[in-house]
Amino acid sequence: MDTSSPAAFVNGGLLCMHVGRKVRTVIQVTRSDAGSVMGKSTDGCQLVVRGSPPAPLTSYVEVIGVAENENSIRAELWTNFGDSFDASNYDQLCQLANGELKHLFL
Amino acid sequence: MFSSSQFEDSSPLAGGGFMSSQLGGSTPSSARIRDMQGLVPATVKQISEASQSGDEKSSFIIDGVDVANVTVVGMVFNKNSRSSDVRFQLDDGTGRIECIRWVTERLDTRDLDALEDGTYVRVNGHLQTFQSKRQLNAFSVRLVTNFDEVTCHYLECIHFHLQNSKVQSKADEAPDLSFSTPVRGASNGHHPASTNDFSMQYNADGLKSFDKLVLNYLQQPSNIDREMGIHVDELSQQLKSPLEKIKDAIEFLEREGLVYSSIDDYHYKAVEGL
Repeated sequence: MDTSSPAAFVNGGLLCMHVGRKVRTVIQVTRSDAGSVMGKSTDGCQLVVRGSPPAPLTSYVEVIGVAENENSIRAELWTNFGDSFDASNYDQLCQLANGELKHLFL
Repeated sequence: MFSSSQFEDSSPLAGGGFMSSQLGGSTPSSARIRDMQGLVPATVKQISEASQSGDEKSSFIIDGVDVANVTVVGMVFNKNSRSSDVRFQLDDGTGRIECIRWVTERLDTRDLDALEDGTYVRVNGHLQTFQSKRQLNAFSVRLVTNFDEVTCHYLECIHFHLQNSKVQSKADEAPDLSFSTPVRGASNGHHPASTNDFSMQYNADGLKSFDKLVLNYLQQPSNIDREMGIHVDELSQQLKSPLEKIKDAIEFLEREGLVYSSIDDYHYKAVEGL
């Protein structure tokens, strides 16, 4: 069993707390190019995700990777989360997972 | 449903010899079984930090609760199929844990054949230790198709933790969490304003929250003492619910062996000594 590389749940606002570390988040894709995807985080911020997204991309995609700065992530793993996803639930989860309950995750 | 034959079957054919004693051989007293939660939602981090309980070391303790079976949601990695079993690592973002699905018939693992690295699945399984490593003896591996399930799973983990931490330390103030946005579609009958002692307890032991409400009422010491039992009308009145709903809950609880009818079909009591 290995807990050595956990990924922190982040939204746009929380990304800055984990720069340089492994993070995970769900974005709603607004634009996708060859080397990067632009999307809206679950709390409404614009984020850039660099890497090779899968094709085709659904509206919502989860990315797991390393936070480069407060609005960009270098993705290692992409998962299509479909076209309907409850972003506000996920956003609340991000806040809970970074608060007093962090020890359940990281 | 997924064949759980290796779970019920305590013959030596059911997987490696080291596991059958935990599942079928030694039978803890029925009271102890009831103390164990059913299927506990947990993160791999929580599992890695759980302590082991009992002399048999057959179960673990998470948040002060005896846990034997857990449900985990994460991604499959390093799948390895053999004739006797299929193994993979489950990575839920908080850590990785080894999962083993024992093969009794080829049919059992059809669901696993198509799994690729990075696929989200829900694994329900029995927590165990083997060669001082924790593992999940998986009796169910299911593809996640609606990804709200991922969010929901972590929220359930949080909920389970909070529920049991509150029980442990009543002195601590509940953390300032706003549950004002109810999780959509995850439960029935959310009553945030209820002032009852036993309002809305979500349980991981397979009982719906309403069934638990009824059970809790019957389990109150003052009600246990009432020899004739509690009339379903009283339940309906006290819990402010329609009689039909009460009757459904009673039917379920009776089937589970948690309540029984006393003087007639309308009076019920909770089974004691659980």
